[in-house]
Amino acid sequence: MSKYLTFTDVVFTNKALLLAALADLGYCHVEQGEGLSLYGYQGDERVERAEIVVRRRHIGAASNDLGFARTAQGYTPLISEYDQRTLHDGKFVARLRASYNERVVKEMQQRLRGTLRRETQGSIVKLKIRY
Amino acid sequence: MPEVEFSINTETGEMQMHIEGIQGASCADVAKLAKELLGAPAREENTPEFYVRPQTQKLVQPKKK
Repeated sequence: MSKYLTFTDVVFTNKALLLAALADLGYCHVEQGEGLSLYGYQGDERVERAEIVVRRRHIGAASNDLGFARTAQGYTPLISEYDQRTLHDGKFVARLRASYNERVVKEMQQRLRGTLRRETQGSIVKLKIRY
Repeated sequence: MPEVEFSINTETGEMQMHIEGIQGASCADVAKLAKELLGAPAREENTPEFYVRPQTQKLVQPKKK
């Protein structure tokens, strides 16, 4: 059994952009609702509740459900210790944040009615909006 | 032309934003939009440009005779 970790310092304020960022990482099947239960890899129901859930069948055989709990600040990830260690080589949260941030930039470009230039320098993605 | 520059570290997911070419309070509007989508930043600094008040000129039209 793997315990769940709550990342209170990682907050995704915009639900639509969070769903888009999850899809970018390959998680297109997402359940949405109020206080959804999370299940571990053995089918055991956990005490944690979430408003956005990626079921373990869409992640991996040994994985647990992946959740996002709504807080006053936004959605915070609820990830099992096992998945935190193994998903995307242990970089799931970092990659999700990077993907979400890039979605934010595209959203800002649209709202500012500007043009967007993107370039990559190693592990750094540089984006520039002109409007 | 106003520019907003972003730098995303794909290893950590952290992002930095820099607003350029926007003087005064208009800069705060862009920052407000970013905060709406990103949440409160870990650190926030105003560049000297922020404190520059945009210059406005009063247009006076001559009275029509």
